[in-house]
Amino acid sequence: MAVSVADLDLRGVSEALARRELSSVEATVAYLDRIAAHDPVLRAYITVTGDMALAQAKEADAEIGRGARRGPLHGVPIALKDLIAVAGVKMTGGSRVLADHVPTRDAFVTRRLKGAGAVLLGKLAMHEFAFGRPVTEGAFPTGRNPWDVQRSPAGSSSGSAVAAAAGLCAGALGSDTGGSIRGPASMTGLVGHKPTYGLVSRSGVLALSWSLDHVGPMTRGVWDSAVLLQAIAGADPEDTSTRSAATQDYVSDLERGARGLRLGVLKRYYVEFPGLHDEVRAAALTAFDVLRKEGATLEEVDAPSLDQALAVWAPLMSEAYEYHAETLRRSPEQFGEGLRTRVYFSALFTAQDVQRAQRLRARIGREVDALLSRVDALIFPGQAMPALRFEDFPSTGFAPASIRYTAPWNLLGLPAAVVPSGFSGDGLPVSIQLVGRRFDDATVLRLARAYERVTEWHQRRPDPARWRL
Amino acid sequence: MKTTDDRRAQFDAECRVAGLSLAARDAELLYAMWLEWLPERDRLRAAVPAAEDEPWR
Repeated sequence: MAVSVADLDLRGVSEALARRELSSVEATVAYLDRIAAHDPVLRAYITVTGDMALAQAKEADAEIGRGARRGPLHGVPIALKDLIAVAGVKMTGGSRVLADHVPTRDAFVTRRLKGAGAVLLGKLAMHEFAFGRPVTEGAFPTGRNPWDVQRSPAGSSSGSAVAAAAGLCAGALGSDTGGSIRGPASMTGLVGHKPTYGLVSRSGVLALSWSLDHVGPMTRGVWDSAVLLQAIAGADPEDTSTRSAATQDYVSDLERGARGLRLGVLKRYYVEFPGLHDEVRAAALTAFDVLRKEGATLEEVDAPSLDQALAVWAPLMSEAYEYHAETLRRSPEQFGEGLRTRVYFSALFTAQDVQRAQRLRARIGREVDALLSRVDALIFPGQAMPALRFEDFPSTGFAPASIRYTAPWNLLGLPAAVVPSGFSGDGLPVSIQLVGRRFDDATVLRLARAYERVTEWHQRRPDPARWRL
Repeated sequence: MKTTDDRRAQFDAECRVAGLSLAARDAELLYAMWLEWLPERDRLRAAVPAAEDEPWR
């Protein structure tokens, strides 16, 4: 084995497998060794499925050896957020409530990944039921940021971000209800793609809010996310939101570049937001110039009703209260404090609040659809600020500003991806975000790749020598 | 202009209406979150939907 697996992105692993420079078993052992060495500090994994992974890797090597490679994921070791079911493997949702829960069926996305020949390394840490707060202690620590282990990787797909960024897997799946893929991806220097609502099935995935939940990839590179999305996208009779799923080829257009594409900069709502960190703003403005130089046309656009997006998002989280209310009434002590607070909060909206929110959601959707009839995608900074120290995380719920950059796009179900766009003075990753038309995830990924291929941010790796407490 | 006491009374009343019976620590954390998000809820309740703003489908 001549290659250092941990430094590769998913594409690097896949291509090394294709060239037979690396076997799937070698890759799997390399990741398992790295998990054993570093996960006691990083805490990305809740469950490591070493035996299963090695068995899958041996099978993959045998098939590849016969010249029957199924595709780019065959033999590639990946991992899943611990709310995605794998038959026979514990699925906790990061909660004591489900500490011993073992699903008997695979989630749709798990079946797809197995069908593509991917190797499953394990189940990844997360904020409790995708709605709790980051914790470093207890039965379900949520993981430490590999760029600075005293900082949170954000959440809720915290373990997915940590594992992919630290080279503890080649790529991961997360879920995103208000920013839970894009936030952690931004904080750890990854590409995170929230697909169009209805493109990827949620069946076999623990719900947080049925109308806002999305499942998607978190990876070191855009190609990696495109390949994972290709594997998991498509209609599933068990998830009615996917009835009209319109899949595209997410990989073949990636290298077509930005030339001729029109980008709308949401300047007022995002770039001029007073809570935006100066270094994030500066990196984003530089990134916009890069895309301009690559041939994209940028123009300033606005949707005034975005001002109401967080007011609309919050009452819709009453879906989370509906999901947890009975268990919460019966045994509140089973939940962590952060989750209890947020779920209780979701109970304090009235029926009229929820209906008002649904009406305003439609208004925001109309305004944004009108923008997207003039431009191919929207662009803005990925998050308001780089990763926070654990002690600086709000002790109550979460501040509206923390989801300003992400939650509006859950409301509208539009495809949204973050891509690394630089580093803060403290050495922390920052990102830009691209949002596209419904079911046009391919253009979002193409634009992300157009930026990625002329920058080097995605090639930087956190230093394992700093993974000490 | 509502006082802190008015706010707290409003919060306690809303918890009762929602059927929440909370331990003291949970109530304090929830109150802090409720206060933080109150401007957003006020914004929601102050908004005037147009006739064409039918609920999202």
